[in-house]
Amino acid sequence: MKKVKLRSSFRDLSGFVFEKEGRVLRQVNKVYKKDYDLLISSGLYNELVSNQLLISHSELGGNLAFEKSISYKVIEPKKLDFISYPYEWCFSQLKDAGLLTLRIQKLALKHGLTLKDASAYNIQFYKGRPVFIDTLSFEKYHEGEPWVAYRQFCQHFLAPLVLVSFKDPRFTKLLRVFIDGFPLSFVSKLIPKRTWLNLGLLTHIHLHARSQSYYANKKIVKKKITKVGLRGIVDNLESTLKSLSWNPEGTQWAEYYSFTNYNEEAFVYKKRIVNSFIDTVKPKIVLDLGANTGVFSRIASSQKIVTISVDNDPAAVERNYLESKKNKEEYILPLIIDLENPSPAIGWMSEERTSFIERRPFDLVMSLALLHHLSISNNLPFDNVADFFKKVGRFLIIEFIPKKDSQVQRLLTSRKDIFGSYSIDNFEYVFAKHFRIIRKEKIPASERVLYLMCKK
Amino acid sequence: MIVPILFVAIFPESARAYIDPGSGSYILQIVIAGLLGASFTVKLYWKKIRSLFSNKKKKVNENPNEKSETS
Repeated sequence: MKKVKLRSSFRDLSGFVFEKEGRVLRQVNKVYKKDYDLLISSGLYNELVSNQLLISHSELGGNLAFEKSISYKVIEPKKLDFISYPYEWCFSQLKDAGLLTLRIQKLALKHGLTLKDASAYNIQFYKGRPVFIDTLSFEKYHEGEPWVAYRQFCQHFLAPLVLVSFKDPRFTKLLRVFIDGFPLSFVSKLIPKRTWLNLGLLTHIHLHARSQSYYANKKIVKKKITKVGLRGIVDNLESTLKSLSWNPEGTQWAEYYSFTNYNEEAFVYKKRIVNSFIDTVKPKIVLDLGANTGVFSRIASSQKIVTISVDNDPAAVERNYLESKKNKEEYILPLIIDLENPSPAIGWMSEERTSFIERRPFDLVMSLALLHHLSISNNLPFDNVADFFKKVGRFLIIEFIPKKDSQVQRLLTSRKDIFGSYSIDNFEYVFAKHFRIIRKEKIPASERVLYLMCKK
Repeated sequence: MIVPILFVAIFPESARAYIDPGSGSYILQIVIAGLLGASFTVKLYWKKIRSLFSNKKKKVNENPNEKSETS
């Protein structure tokens, strides 16, 4: 029986996560016994789980422990469909994850506990909403103690959200570089001077950054703060986070469907073909690449198929997420992924956070109105594109858009056409080396063709 | 050899506070806790007062007949 300790699970001595025969288990160490028992006996666990704020778990026999000598319990949390990371989330996903963390901290304080960390990596999206996954993040609250995770919360949630809200939505991608959140001095320098007039941003970003640099390497006298003071800080963080906004309208891709090459009839027909392809494959998990606002992803997700709907445009992903939230959709997960540079494995030994491509295999990959971007904008030969699709999934729905299509012509307006091999015949020839073509359907009133293929 | 064993026995490893709160972040919380705690208290009372009035209003709205009967 092979057990493998997860490479991201080493910081907290309270326990760790390991995999055993495809199951994800968590060992609770003896050293965390009191806090774990308090989490359960205080009623906090029940309140969090019944409100779908914390992932539920079942307790298993101790003989499953990874390291028996230090083990108190082994628990099995509900398994997630897909793991995503903060640098792949849009503004509202990160904001909802931050607000969830604060809501949990407030409930924890009510039950006499506190969060000992506030890492954005403690949150995952499950059934359309953020959920806290680190069951061992709670500890007994001792009157007088400040919030030990205050710095981490500001760096992981507030700082990137402030940068998006005041500067640019692409800043969330930078969380890939800053694995412990943005340094506050970095953010304080970048955001406009008028943010000094906002009480929340003045304290949690600007003064916080200055206090960090002033007290760096200085010995401090630890003083106590009242519980009301602590609740005041958490409450102020919450209202500061709530006040941050970003409007995703007006970017090129988020408005894409208003200027495509389709008339309505062709668009409906395309949806119908995609639907019939999905019916043929009957996938459990789908990856929609270049999904824009998720119109085609929803053909799968509306049939209760878990669908990871990725795009490189933060505005498109934001709109996709807001729609899924508004309609309480449980099977679609919009994420910001740049296919030309997808999330690599990062962290200690490059093993803490897995790469997007290797995170899990997909039953079906959808590449609609995407190939021309990869082949022409990024100069990728068909062979390289086929290699990528083969690596991430088993079945493939792919749309071929010929060179004379206005969308392709648009990509060629400012550059020399060096793409002699970009033809439907060559496309079929190259892809047939990697895939078996199962179906081929021409979209009426357009020159575009849809294929259903299976990996050879 | 005995010293480290004794040390471990007297100070058992604790799982508490495994992340560094940061000196600057710690001090800042002490500084802002008074102000934010006070404004939080005011907010709570204000909410209570408002809900008291809105409840009364609601009750009146819910039972418009009651008002006419008593007046």
